[in-house]
Amino acid sequence: MATRAEQPPAPAWQRGKVAGWLVTVDHKRIGILYIATAGVFFAISGFLALLIRTQLAQPDGHVITGNSYNEVVTMHGTGMVFFVVVPILAGLANFLVPLMIGAPDMAFPRLNALSYWLYAFAGLIFCFSFLAAGGAANTGWTAYPPLSLAAQGNGQDLWILSLHILSISSAVGAINFIVTIHNMRTRGMSWMRIPLFVWSIEIYSWLLLLVLPVLSAGLTLLLLERQFPDTFHFFRPEGTDSGGSPILYQHVFWFFGHPEVYIMILPAMGIISEILPVFARKPIFGYKAIAFSTVAIGFFSLLVWAHHMFTVGLPTYLSIWFMLASMVIAIPTGMKIFNWLATLWRGNISLDTPMLFALGFLSIFTIGGLSGIYLAAFPVDWQVHDTYFVVAHFHYVLFGGSVFAIIGGLFYWWPKIFGRILSETLGKWTFWLVFVGFNVTFFPQHLLGLLGMPRRVYAYRDDGLWHAYNLTSSIGSYVMGVGFLCLLAAIVRSVHGRRVGNDPWNADTLEWYATSPPPPHNFDEVPYVTSARPLYDLKRRLREAESA
Amino acid sequence: MPRTVRPKILVVVGVVTVSLAAAATALAGNGGFAPVAPVSPNAHAIKQSYLFISIFTIAIFLLVETLLIVFVIRYRRRKRPRDADGAQVHGANRLELAWTVGPVLILFVIVAFIFVKLPTIQDVPASAAGSRNLVVDVIGTQFTWQFRYPNGVVTIDQLRAPAGRTVELHVTAPDWDVIHSWWIPALGGKMDAIPGRVNKTWFKGTQVGVFQGQCAELCGIYHAKMLASVDVMPAPEFDSWYEERLGQQQAGTSPLGEELWVGTCAKCHGLDGEGGYGPRIAGTDLIKNTQSVEALLRNGGILMPPVGRDWTTAEMDALTTYLKDHVGNQG
Repeated sequence: MATRAEQPPAPAWQRGKVAGWLVTVDHKRIGILYIATAGVFFAISGFLALLIRTQLAQPDGHVITGNSYNEVVTMHGTGMVFFVVVPILAGLANFLVPLMIGAPDMAFPRLNALSYWLYAFAGLIFCFSFLAAGGAANTGWTAYPPLSLAAQGNGQDLWILSLHILSISSAVGAINFIVTIHNMRTRGMSWMRIPLFVWSIEIYSWLLLLVLPVLSAGLTLLLLERQFPDTFHFFRPEGTDSGGSPILYQHVFWFFGHPEVYIMILPAMGIISEILPVFARKPIFGYKAIAFSTVAIGFFSLLVWAHHMFTVGLPTYLSIWFMLASMVIAIPTGMKIFNWLATLWRGNISLDTPMLFALGFLSIFTIGGLSGIYLAAFPVDWQVHDTYFVVAHFHYVLFGGSVFAIIGGLFYWWPKIFGRILSETLGKWTFWLVFVGFNVTFFPQHLLGLLGMPRRVYAYRDDGLWHAYNLTSSIGSYVMGVGFLCLLAAIVRSVHGRRVGNDPWNADTLEWYATSPPPPHNFDEVPYVTSARPLYDLKRRLREAESA
Repeated sequence: MPRTVRPKILVVVGVVTVSLAAAATALAGNGGFAPVAPVSPNAHAIKQSYLFISIFTIAIFLLVETLLIVFVIRYRRRKRPRDADGAQVHGANRLELAWTVGPVLILFVIVAFIFVKLPTIQDVPASAAGSRNLVVDVIGTQFTWQFRYPNGVVTIDQLRAPAGRTVELHVTAPDWDVIHSWWIPALGGKMDAIPGRVNKTWFKGTQVGVFQGQCAELCGIYHAKMLASVDVMPAPEFDSWYEERLGQQQAGTSPLGEELWVGTCAKCHGLDGEGGYGPRIAGTDLIKNTQSVEALLRNGGILMPPVGRDWTTAEMDALTTYLKDHVGNQG
């Protein structure tokens, strides 16, 4: 087991209430900082989403102008992907991974702090880019050239800068997770005994490390060509001899962009794999299958990027390859879904808020996975690509998938993080409002896409069905908004919430062996790990000892 | 329950699920539950593929959600103590193998269906002696569509096509422009209009009518207003229009000038030139000077893209004449 040399106490100025947080290298405090910051960005990006839905409640709405609409769409997408989902997962992982593997901290605590502060700094640049000359970036979160090359003002440049800084932050964080998971597991915790959430963070980190440099390279080229258009011709085809190609950027972007989807969903799946067994009072069904399917999804996610590009005029053999590779991913994903279902089978199911969100995830993610099959079949994709069908699909996966799992995870681990439980009553309100609101918002968007409504439009055809579905969708988004206010209320009230002890859910993994909240060094001692459920084993041994 | 009954129940459940899925698929009308009613063979085959995939997705959806709901109800805690263990089952290799192989088979069937339909969707029907394919260049620019016919006729935002004849589209965008995407849902899938690249697609209108569509790739501020339509006309009617339009264009009496104005200029400068995103141009001196207008259109301005750089003389003349007659005199 890792032990630490006795450290001299921190100087007085570092122990203040604020300064203590600013200089902290404790993985738990950094985790909380990550989660809180991502929460702020969630509020901002969520507000932008409500703005979008308000504009689209009418066919020719005048809430915002076409130009502002493009800014809002861009910042909502970029914000949710880069500044909410990935960092909040990093925050949960920061808090949980060392505890789950019985370690006193991350492998590189200072690097960990660096990674958080870079994220916070990138986030500030991102937010303040709204104030740039010409406004914020307005070319979509994908920033396809030549549009992003032609974009006026500095919004696009600040967008690139913030993502560059964020890439460094994520890459540093990923290295830290990998080193921690490989080297700091407690005695007995072999690879087949680490919690499935830790497995997912291992793959999350490898994917980040493999694809972020590609994004950074692509953004660097974009920045160079924006700033020195006469010198560099990477993506703009102007003139026949320049050799630039707009398609090149799309390959680079999606080589990063598709694994990014799995970077966001794999840890969410990890959270589900932690919650379901605890609330069904069963071991996870098929631990190895779930662990290896995580690895398989991670691997195949690197081979499918051009399924985002079926309409650029790919040669048929490439389209066929990317169709087959994309469909292959459905197999490990399907395995997970059936394994989770089987985990419920013959269980003793308690429907507390974390479990509600996990079950909500299962029901919604299934739809998102199935609608993906249409998109993988490239001739069908030619019809639905870049329409609201795609918008519905990725919200079912990323919102109904990742965000549901994250909220479930927050309700589950809140008592560990702060020692106090989130209100179950408000939790249930949150769940039902968000669950119903989500489906009302996003299901009609499938239909809009099939009717012919493209994405990223600030106005649409004044046709009865188009208006009806859009209005329904907008109403659903307000219902969700109220749901998230309930979540906010639950969080605020938890300051004086009920204290529930170290192991309120009667869980199986090591983080619940530490006190709530855990002390700076996490554990005084860690039990020898003999299975994937060390705490379950320990409790059973104690019971047996008692009865004997 | 006796063991022998179980497989039967499974069979019944399976049959019910699949038939429900098939029924739902068949009923998927035009409320947006399936792609819009196709009027071209490629769009038709895409819709068939969509419906075929739906049989499986709906069946899997029903299966998963039913199991989920049944398990949650059947195995909920009720009066059991909270910490009572459920069945300590760690897995079952056969079951796991089944739900790995099952999806593989389903995907295999779907891919096979796609392969069967692919030629109908992708391959351009060959020209026959009686009906030669009409080849039209489709050029996307911010924020308008130009259609250039083989005989020199140009139209803006509305493509006219003869019913029953194959129309081949060569979709592109000028080097100085951005990416757009050509899409008329009833006539088939999308094809991106990419600067420096010519992509080919086609349709064959099987029904007369005007079919709406719009640009499907974010292309800037008026992306939402970059609409397109295809007017599929009876072939003889098309032929006479085609000749008539050529004559008009040569005589300078075609509506091309107005089409260019509405499609290209008015989105930013307003329908009457009163200004909008772009400055007011109605009644300005600039508008009255044909040469400076042409220079501006060909070279672009500070924010204005060089929308007319690739225009033919016919287009340029049509627009400048229209500007002089309709926009220049307005105060």
